[in-house]
Amino acid sequence: MTMPAFRLERPRSLADAVSILATHGPDAMILAGGTDVVPNLQMKLFSPRVLVDIKPLAKNAQLASIDWSPANGLRIGALATLTSICESPLIREKFPVLAAAVATIAGPLQRNMGTVGGNLCLETRCQWYNQSDFWRKSLGGCLKKDGPICHVAPGGKFCWAAWSGDSAPALLTLDAEIEITGPQGARRLPLAQFYKNDGMDRIALGRDELLTAVHVPARMAGRRGNYHKLRVRNSIDYPLAGVAVSMHVDSRGICRDARLALTAVNPAPLLVKEACEWLAGQPASPELIDRVAQQAIRTAKPLTTSGSTPVYRRDMVRVFTRRALEESWRSADGK
Amino acid sequence: MSKQLIKLRVNGEQYELAVPPNKLLLDVLREDLGLTGTKRGCDDSSCGACSVLVDGVPMLACVALAASYQDCELTTVEGLGTLDALHPVQSSWGDAGGAQCGFCTSGFLISTKALLDRNPHPSLDEIREALSANLCRCTGYMQIYESVKLAIERAAAAKAAGAGS
Amino acid sequence: MAQHSIIGKPLAMIESGAKVTGLGKYADDLSVPGMLIGRILHSPHAHAVIRSIDSSAAEALPGVKAVATGKDAPRPYGILPIGHDECVFTKDKARYIGDNVAAVAATSAEIAEQALDLLRVDYEVLPAWFDPLLSTEAAEHWLFADKPRNIEKEYHHNFGSVDEGFAQAAFVREQRYFAGEVNHAAMEPHSTLAIWEPDGRLTVHSSTQVPYYLHRTLAEVLEMPMSQIRVIKPLIGGGFGGKSEVIPIEIAAGVLAKKAKRPVKITYTREEVFLAHRGRPITVVDMKVGLTRDGKITAVAARVVQDGGAYCGYGPVTVLYSGALLGALYDIPNVRYDGFRVLTNKPACGAMRGHGTVNVRFAFESMLDDLAREAGLDPAEVRRRNLLKAPCITVNGLRVTSYGLPECIEKVVERSGWNAKRGKLPYGKGIGIACSHYVSGAANPIIRSNIPHTTVHIKIDRDAAVTVFTGASEIGQGSDTMHVQIAAEILGVRPARIKLVAADTELTPIDLGSYSSRVTFMAGNACLEAAKNMRAQILEAIAAKYKMDPALLDIRDDNVISLDDSRLHIAFDDAIATALEFRGALVAKGTYAPPEEARGGKHKGAGVGPSPSYSYSAQTVEVSVDTETGQVRVEKIIAAHDCGRALNPLTVEGQVEGSVYMGLGQALQEEMVWDNGRLMNPSLLEYKIATTLETPEIESIIVESIDPEGPFGAKEAGEGSLAATIPAVANAIYDAVGVRINSLPITPEKVLAALRVGASFSSPSSSCSSRGSDGGAK
Repeated sequence: MTMPAFRLERPRSLADAVSILATHGPDAMILAGGTDVVPNLQMKLFSPRVLVDIKPLAKNAQLASIDWSPANGLRIGALATLTSICESPLIREKFPVLAAAVATIAGPLQRNMGTVGGNLCLETRCQWYNQSDFWRKSLGGCLKKDGPICHVAPGGKFCWAAWSGDSAPALLTLDAEIEITGPQGARRLPLAQFYKNDGMDRIALGRDELLTAVHVPARMAGRRGNYHKLRVRNSIDYPLAGVAVSMHVDSRGICRDARLALTAVNPAPLLVKEACEWLAGQPASPELIDRVAQQAIRTAKPLTTSGSTPVYRRDMVRVFTRRALEESWRSADGK
Repeated sequence: MSKQLIKLRVNGEQYELAVPPNKLLLDVLREDLGLTGTKRGCDDSSCGACSVLVDGVPMLACVALAASYQDCELTTVEGLGTLDALHPVQSSWGDAGGAQCGFCTSGFLISTKALLDRNPHPSLDEIREALSANLCRCTGYMQIYESVKLAIERAAAAKAAGAGS
Repeated sequence: MAQHSIIGKPLAMIESGAKVTGLGKYADDLSVPGMLIGRILHSPHAHAVIRSIDSSAAEALPGVKAVATGKDAPRPYGILPIGHDECVFTKDKARYIGDNVAAVAATSAEIAEQALDLLRVDYEVLPAWFDPLLSTEAAEHWLFADKPRNIEKEYHHNFGSVDEGFAQAAFVREQRYFAGEVNHAAMEPHSTLAIWEPDGRLTVHSSTQVPYYLHRTLAEVLEMPMSQIRVIKPLIGGGFGGKSEVIPIEIAAGVLAKKAKRPVKITYTREEVFLAHRGRPITVVDMKVGLTRDGKITAVAARVVQDGGAYCGYGPVTVLYSGALLGALYDIPNVRYDGFRVLTNKPACGAMRGHGTVNVRFAFESMLDDLAREAGLDPAEVRRRNLLKAPCITVNGLRVTSYGLPECIEKVVERSGWNAKRGKLPYGKGIGIACSHYVSGAANPIIRSNIPHTTVHIKIDRDAAVTVFTGASEIGQGSDTMHVQIAAEILGVRPARIKLVAADTELTPIDLGSYSSRVTFMAGNACLEAAKNMRAQILEAIAAKYKMDPALLDIRDDNVISLDDSRLHIAFDDAIATALEFRGALVAKGTYAPPEEARGGKHKGAGVGPSPSYSYSAQTVEVSVDTETGQVRVEKIIAAHDCGRALNPLTVEGQVEGSVYMGLGQALQEEMVWDNGRLMNPSLLEYKIATTLETPEIESIIVESIDPEGPFGAKEAGEGSLAATIPAVANAIYDAVGVRINSLPITPEKVLAALRVGASFSSPSSSCSSRGSDGGAK
C-alpha cells in the first residue's frame, strides 16, 4: 500500500500551526503520533493536500507535559504520549481510571507514539470502513466514504461507525475539559460536548483548530476508578466495548458521587447520565448495581461495526458495568 | 510530488537525502539507506516487525513519516551490534531459539533492548507486557522469553567482567 | 556411533547471525539495478465473466513498462497434476473477490498503482456460491463447467465393517462439528523478485517453501525450458504451508520480467496474503464413533465437507489427509470416510500446518472425551486402551514403525497432575487431554516419478571445507542446521567446517520442498548417506596410504585417528590433502526415497497419508472460564511430542511450542470472517493471532521413540502437535464448566451461549458462518 501525496508542514509554534490550519481549511489534516492517521492514509480513507505534523510542538513543554496543582487540577498537554500518561505515578495515584484506560490502548509500541490528543480525536471505526481502497471499491463504498449506503443500517442515512477510543470514557468520568486553540486563541469545552455521536462527523473541532490540552478538575483527584475493555487480544486491539467508572466513596461505604461512561458501542463515548444520579448517596447493593447496569445497556447501541456481535457487546456492557461498580466500592472499602 | 531534503541520524551516522514528504521512515530505512533489517509485516501498525528506537524509545517505523524524525537519534537492528560484537540480546536470540524464521526478530530485539535499558531485571510479566505489540508466528513466545532471560544473564556477566577488570 | 558429539545437542541455527543482525536477506530485502515494481489487479467481484480488458491507458502511463493479462500466460497450472485449473491471470472469469486479473510493472509502486486504476475491465457479474453446503446444490453457474455441483473431488473409503463395529459398541455418538477458516499468517508477506538476465534466462528469488515445484511451474507457464530458469530461495519469514504451492505473485513477477525484459519485484500487502490464502478450509465434520463398555473404539465414520474456495490447489490432498489419518492414531478396526472438497467463490484453500488432519482431529478427540464420560472412564485411560502395537499396519494400510504415543500420554498425565485435577477442579477451572499425529513426509510425491525425493551432494576440495549442497528449504524450522549437524556428526568435524548451499536450483540437487514435515526424515537421510559416503572415501584414501584397514579408522574432532594401537593421528586438512591425491575434489552423493512398503494401499486416494514414519503428540491444557463473559483463559499447556530422536532439542522444542501456539489460535481466536465472499478481516489487526498476553506457558516434553528408518532415529517435529491443542482446549472447557463447544473458534460468545442453554453449542446447520446470525448486515 502506498501513501497518498500531500505537502507536509511541521510548524514550530502553536501560532504557526493554527495559521496553517486556517489557511488550508478542509484540505489540511493534523498528524500527531500517526498510529491512526497513517494506516488510514494508506487505506486512502482521507486525501489531505496538507498534512500538519504537530509533533515539533512537543518541544513547547506546555503541549506535552503533565502538570498537577491542587488549585488548577490536572493538565495534560495534547502531545503527551499515552505511555507517559499510563506510567505517570501522579495519574496512577490520583486518577486511576485514566491510567487504567490508557494502559489498555493498543500495545506498548503504539502507546509510545500515540498522544492523548490523538486518542481523543480518533477517527470512528467500522468494519465496512477501515479497509483498503481495493476492498471498499469492491463493495461500492459506504456512507462514510464514497458510497450511498451504510452497511450497518442499510435503510438509514446515518453513519454508525463506532467511537473506539479508550481514554475518552475515562476522562468523561473525570468531568474533563479540553482546551482547543484556534485563530481566536484558546477555549475550553467540556469533553462531553466535544463528541457529536455521529459516525461521519465525530468531534466539534473546527478545521482551523487543534486540541491542545486536557484538564481534569482537582475535585476528581483521588477517586477510585477502573476501566473494563472488551477485546479479543489483551494488546494491539481496539475496544469492542468499554466501561469506565470513577467513584467517590466515603468512609461508610456510601457513594458520594460517581460517573459511568461507555465506549465502542456508539458513535461517541457516552456518559450514562442516570448512573450519576442514581448512585449518589447510596450504599452498594446488588439491586442498585443491576439497575445501573441495565441503564448502561439502554445507553449502548452497538451495531455490526466490528467482528463481535451487538448482542454480546451489550451483554458485556452490563457485566462490565456491574464489575466496575463492585470493584470501585470494594477498593474504596479498602477490602 | 516534489522531494525535500531531510537529515536523519541513524545508528550514529548522519544522512542527508531527498525524499518525498509522504515517504515512511520504514521505506527510507529499507530503500534509501539499505537497512533492510527492519521489516514490514502488516499495513496497519499492528505487528511490530518495523520497530526502531527513536531516542531510545521503541516505535513503529511503518507509521512514521521520515521527515518527521529528523531531530531524533534513530537505532535499527543493524545498530545494536555487529557480527563480531553482538549485543547480548542478539546473541541470546540465536542461542536460545528466539529466532525461528527471523522475520519478527529485529522488532523483538528493539523492544527488548528498550526494556532492558530501562529495567535490567524485568519480571516475566514485565517482559510479556513490553513485548505484547510484537507478533511472532513461530515460537509461541516461550523461547523468546528464554532468549530475554539469557540476554539478561549475559549483560550482567559482561557488566561484572567489566567491573572486575 | 553410540555417543554423538553434535546430534542431540542444542545448537543455535546456523543462520541466526544473519537474522539477529538484520543482515540476512528475505525476498523483499533484495533489489537490483533497474528493478521495476509490480502490482496486481484483483477482481472486485466474487464471480464474473471477464468480457474484455482495455489496458491502453495503463500502458500509456509514463513509467509503466509492462502490463500483463491472461493472454500473456494462458497455460493453466496447479500444484497437483490433477488440478491444473488456475491461470496466473484468469482468462475467462473471476472466481473470487481478489482473483488475479492483470498486473503492471512500473518504475515505482505509486505509478504501478495508478496504472491499475487505468485498467478497464468489463465484467459480467454472475451469481456466486459462498456456503459449501449450498454450493453443492447449485444447479447452474458452477465455478468450472466440468465440476458439476461445484464438487472438486469426493472420496469414499471403507475399511473393516463400520456397521458391525457400531453394533458391537455400547455407546455410539453422532455429532456435527464446524471449524472456521484460518490463515497461516506468516510474518513475512510473500515476495518475489524475478530477474530477466541479459542472456534470456530468468532468475527468480522467491519466498517459497517449494523451489523445485516453482521451477517446474515457471517453466510450464512461461513456456521456457527448465534449464533456462533458476529459482533461488532467500531467507523465508515463515511458511506453515502458505508458501508450499506456487502463489500467483511468483508467476506474475516472471511474466512481467519476461515482458519488460527487466527485473520485477512484487511484494504482497497483508491483505493480498489473505487473498492468496491457501489456508485451512472451513470444514463441516459429521462424526460418529462407537465405544465398548470397557473403552475400546469399535468404529468411526466421518463425513467431511471442506470449503476449498475457488481453485483446486492442494484440495484433494487435504481432504484425503482428513480421512487417512482419522483412524490411524489409535487401533481402530473399522473406519468409514466420506470426504468432499467443494468449490466456492472465495480464495483457494490449501495446505496449512497439520494439513488436513486438524479439524477432524478436533471432532474425533472431542467426541472421544464425551464417549469416555458416557462410559464412566477417564479420558486419558480411554486413549491408553486404544493404542496401536507398533510395528504394525493400520486398517487403512499405513505402516507404523515407531509409536511413542503411550509415553507421550504418560508424560503429560504425570507432569500435569492429571489424576488429581481431572473432574476435581473447582467450577470454572478445567483440564483436558487430547492426542494427535502427523506424517514425517509424504511417502508418495505429488508428481509421480522414480526420482528420489531428495538428493544431497557433498564436496570437499583443497580448502578442506565441507560443502553440502541440498535442495531442501530452510523456512525457519531448522532445515539448514539439521544438514550441518548430520554432516558434521558423520564426518567428525566441527559444524563451522560445514558450508551449506541450499535451495538454489542451479547449484543444488532436487528436494521436493518443505511441506508434509518431510525435510528432517528425507533430506536428513539423504545427507546422512552422502556424509557416510564421503567419510568412506576419506578413510579409504588414508587407509590405502598407510596400509591400514579403513574399518580401524575414525574421524573425530577434525582429526583422522586410528582405533587400534597404531596411534595414527592426522589433522583433517592433511587427511583431505592426502585424499585428493590422484583424485581431485571429493564428491559424494546421498539420496532418499521411501521404501516400497511405506507407500500405502491400492485403493483410490491411497497415495495420501502413507509416510515412512509418524510423529505423535499428547497434550494437557488447563483453562479457566469466566462464566459471565464466556472468556476462556488458558493457564498452561503441556505437550509431549514423539519426534523419534531430537537431533536438535532447541529446534524441536521451538517447533512443538510453535505448533501448540498456532493450534491455540485456531481454538480460541483466529477465524477468517466472510460476508458474501468478502473477507471482513484481511489484516493482522483484525485477524487475531495471539500476542504474548494471551499465550500461556507452554511446556514441551520430548519423547524419543528412535525410529528404525529415520536419520539417527528422527521423525518430524514441526506439525504433529498442532492438532491436539484444539480438542484439548475444548475438553478442558467441558471439564471446567460442563459445556461442549463443537464449533471453532471457541469464542466467548459461543461459550456464553452454551452456558445459558446449559448444553452444547453447534453452529446452525443452515449456515457455515460460525459468527452469530447478526454478525454482519447483508
